[in-house]
Amino acid sequence: MNHNQLQPLNLPRSVNVTLDSRGYPVMVTDAPLHSPAVQLRTPVSEDERDKEEQYERCTSVEAVIETWRVDDEWWREPISRRYVEVVLEGGRHVVLYEDLLTGNWFIQMA
Amino acid sequence: MTVSQAIGLCPSLTLWEPDPVYYDARFSSLLLALGNVSPVVEPAKLGRAFVGVDGLEGLYGSPREHIDVIKRAIAEYAKPGMERLFSARLGWARGKFAAWVAATRAKLNKAVIVADNTRIEFLASQPIAVLQVDPDTHKRLWQLGIKTLSDLRRLPEVAVVSQFGKEGRRMWALAAGEGIDPVTAMEKPDPIVVEFHFPNPVADRAMLTHALERLIERALRHRRRIGWRVLEMTVRAQLEAGTSWNSRITLKDPTADRHHIAALCKSRIEQAPPTGAVESLALEFTAFARGTNELQLFARDATSAARAGQQQALRTAVHEIRTRFQHTGLYHIVEIQPRSRIPERRYALIDYEP
Repeated sequence: MNHNQLQPLNLPRSVNVTLDSRGYPVMVTDAPLHSPAVQLRTPVSEDERDKEEQYERCTSVEAVIETWRVDDEWWREPISRRYVEVVLEGGRHVVLYEDLLTGNWFIQMA
Repeated sequence: MTVSQAIGLCPSLTLWEPDPVYYDARFSSLLLALGNVSPVVEPAKLGRAFVGVDGLEGLYGSPREHIDVIKRAIAEYAKPGMERLFSARLGWARGKFAAWVAATRAKLNKAVIVADNTRIEFLASQPIAVLQVDPDTHKRLWQLGIKTLSDLRRLPEVAVVSQFGKEGRRMWALAAGEGIDPVTAMEKPDPIVVEFHFPNPVADRAMLTHALERLIERALRHRRRIGWRVLEMTVRAQLEAGTSWNSRITLKDPTADRHHIAALCKSRIEQAPPTGAVESLALEFTAFARGTNELQLFARDATSAARAGQQQALRTAVHEIRTRFQHTGLYHIVEIQPRSRIPERRYALIDYEP
């Protein structure tokens, strides 16, 4: 690994999101955030992965702060995302986004 | 008010230059004095300290008696004849925030005691200014019509968190009296002891001084000393006749400079030398003050000097880690596109080079 390279922080992580009738998130599965830096540096063993899976949980969304959409970079690798900044149960601020090309949801720190 | 404005208003004004090194030394002495009251003493900032008294009821009694003991410790810390210059406001309450607010409400040399069953009520009546937040947050709180802690406490916690983020959570908890922030004892390294045994007893002062210089070097190189300046030390000697000699030295200004320490030791040996030939010589650093270096040539104050010292210590540590592991595993965060609407593009990690 080249140690003089920039390493992006706050990489998104895949989650399952339950939506209400208007398309806003109401529930997030596997909400605990793991630092992307730690993920980059520390290989996760099978045992640890099993342990982490035990901690997966559903967290309800308490408030939706802001939404925005990004459509960009159509000339190389298109990005099309719908972002929703929310406050989760317990008061944590996070950003959820739906990859509109694949339909998958991701979570990252606000 | 600027100095020129002050002189304009009062031509006979006497101006005193600040003496940050002296302030640091006096504050360190105060912390040492408070350390005689409780082992849990936390310096918050220059001139403000918290004393943990949990579990000391059996020793000192009621909160009023705790206050009396602390007042006596402060009086002992002041130099004789200068007691009136060393005044303090004292506050007693559960948690640092409530204790600090209580102290700010006390008159000079008096104390305000907030019993646990009145703490929430006491905090609720306080103005929002007691929260130590940045001016923008204060301004926003005022604009939202929140003028007292009870105004803040009446709002739902989630609403405050949504407006102010993590700081909002902390403010709400403090206002609601839920944030009992305990006193954390300041980190104090154990004494550092280094010894030298002479093959044959030595009476020659030059040799003793030389040995002491080597001991000072060894003690200063000790890893526990990194980040600390020496405040007190003891030089001990075992003498040929089975007796001993010792000399305790308190430094006026804490230092980590070996020449300064050696000069003090040398002068002490010359003033009151050991009364016989020395079989072994020991040096013990017994008390420390924060910071690693002397005032740098261009340092504005003691804080800048300490920061420069920490930077030096950090550089050494990073160098040692790299020598051993090839890379340090230390990074810092750099802004890439801080306003990007794609969060992972805002910041990145890069190798840390102090």
